[in-house]
Amino acid sequence: MRTLTIPKEGSFTSAVRHERLSARIGVWLGICFGLAFVTGLISHWYYLGDVPFFPPTRPVWGYRLTQGTHVISGTAAIPLLLVKLWSVYPKLFAEIPFGQGRRLVLNLLERASIAVLVAASIFQLVTGLANSAQWYPWAFSFRSTHYAVAWIAIGALLVHIAVKLPIIKAAYAEPLPEGPEDVPADPAADPAADPESDPEFDPATTPSRRAVLRTALAASAVVVLATAGSTVPFLRKISVLGVRTGEGPQGIPINKSAAAAKVTELARDPGYRLVLAGPEGETTLDMADLAAMTQRTHELPIACVEGWSASGEWTGVRLSELLDLMGAPAEATIRLVSLQPSGAFRSSELPASFARDPLTMLALGLNGQALDIDHGFPCRLIAPNRPGVFQTKWIGRIEVIA
Amino acid sequence: MKTRLLIGAFGLAMGLFGALRFLQRDLDDILDSVLWLAAGVAVHDAVIAPLTLALGALASRVLPAAVRTRVVLGFVVLATMTITAIPVLGRFGAREDNATLLDRNYTVGWLTVAALIVVGTLLVARVSDRLGQRAPAHARQPEPKG
Repeated sequence: MRTLTIPKEGSFTSAVRHERLSARIGVWLGICFGLAFVTGLISHWYYLGDVPFFPPTRPVWGYRLTQGTHVISGTAAIPLLLVKLWSVYPKLFAEIPFGQGRRLVLNLLERASIAVLVAASIFQLVTGLANSAQWYPWAFSFRSTHYAVAWIAIGALLVHIAVKLPIIKAAYAEPLPEGPEDVPADPAADPAADPESDPEFDPATTPSRRAVLRTALAASAVVVLATAGSTVPFLRKISVLGVRTGEGPQGIPINKSAAAAKVTELARDPGYRLVLAGPEGETTLDMADLAAMTQRTHELPIACVEGWSASGEWTGVRLSELLDLMGAPAEATIRLVSLQPSGAFRSSELPASFARDPLTMLALGLNGQALDIDHGFPCRLIAPNRPGVFQTKWIGRIEVIA
Repeated sequence: MKTRLLIGAFGLAMGLFGALRFLQRDLDDILDSVLWLAAGVAVHDAVIAPLTLALGALASRVLPAAVRTRVVLGFVVLATMTITAIPVLGRFGAREDNATLLDRNYTVGWLTVAALIVVGTLLVARVSDRLGQRAPAHARQPEPKG
């Protein structure tokens, strides 16, 4: 019986593992990571609050597009990362050039950068995937951690690209063949070529590198089609693994129910009054007052950070008309406060560009009915191009900040 | 070389910025997330990767040579899809008060996708067999573009 030993790099004999394959999967993975990073930064921008300039109010579906792309590209990266790690796994066991000064230092530095890259990559995909299904098995704060590790992952990825650039270029200088028959004419010229490449290569027993690349891309496409329906309407019926069907009260899903926000009684109180705190003091409006104002209907999406989104026909009062009623200055920042007694997002701030946008409204109805309690009855904010968590529900108070 | 240095320096700066943000959080958050970072690598390197190798070795012994590649590649799609489906299959984020969340039968969904992967693998095999009949394996030339 053979004893188990720690393998060496040469113990892995599959000729399919080759840097030409790794480089190509790496490029696809890099595209996914790049998309996720840029769209992640855009999402983070909305959460910053105090910034010199705010996200634009158009296109109205901007956040729907960027956050949908964020979650889809992260999901697509999962099969790619797994195949990529498989293709380079033997390198984990490569010999460390002890006693060779400069080479040893460079080797250890590269190993450290790869360790950071792999750890950060797995972390981002695992935490992102769990978050998209509203699963939080960890104790740390998701947003600040996912944001910090994103910079670490992308930084380590760029360092990795800088180190491997000659290999990537060489890999793309030649096509990826159907079999391992791409042994260079002079094997000494390319020490990374597979020593055990079999000239009697049989595609039945050994997949070609090209087939492995296609398989990784196919797996990526499968997981995207199986999940993206949470945000892409025409995929709803296909995405059998999507976190949401897109159904819900009045045809729109919800993130936080009235019960979870402990707001049901307060919101249903017949004595409900909307408090308007303007520069000249407070006034109140009851539901009849709100209903007596000019009602407008706009189609606007609700798009959440978890990557789901849905479009609805919202009916209500234009916020800027309420602000005029309060005597709020045109350039004022506005705070909307929910009736919910606690919670990180019980209030949200609207810069003047959003507060005065003609599409921004205090919605009283959705898709032809009075707003459902879980959508924020008696009234909620709905503004263009804004993350769902800032579309404050169960509004009890509107304040002028400055 | 200049390009590489520039990319590397840029990456290092971004990574350091991230590390700074990482360390600016509460100590509890830092420790917990370091644990998760290390666990991700450990689970891959010590569990997923060896398991993959073991399955590969098993496949080369158990599966008939004629179908081995197809089964292995089909399995890659099935396995990665399954890993991605873990959060919905386990319904870990489900909430009593929110019927719009995790509102599908994911077991049926998984079985459907798995069945489609099997069918897709068979179809790809059939198509490549037909192409292979026209041009025998030893006469096949690599295509010009990858």
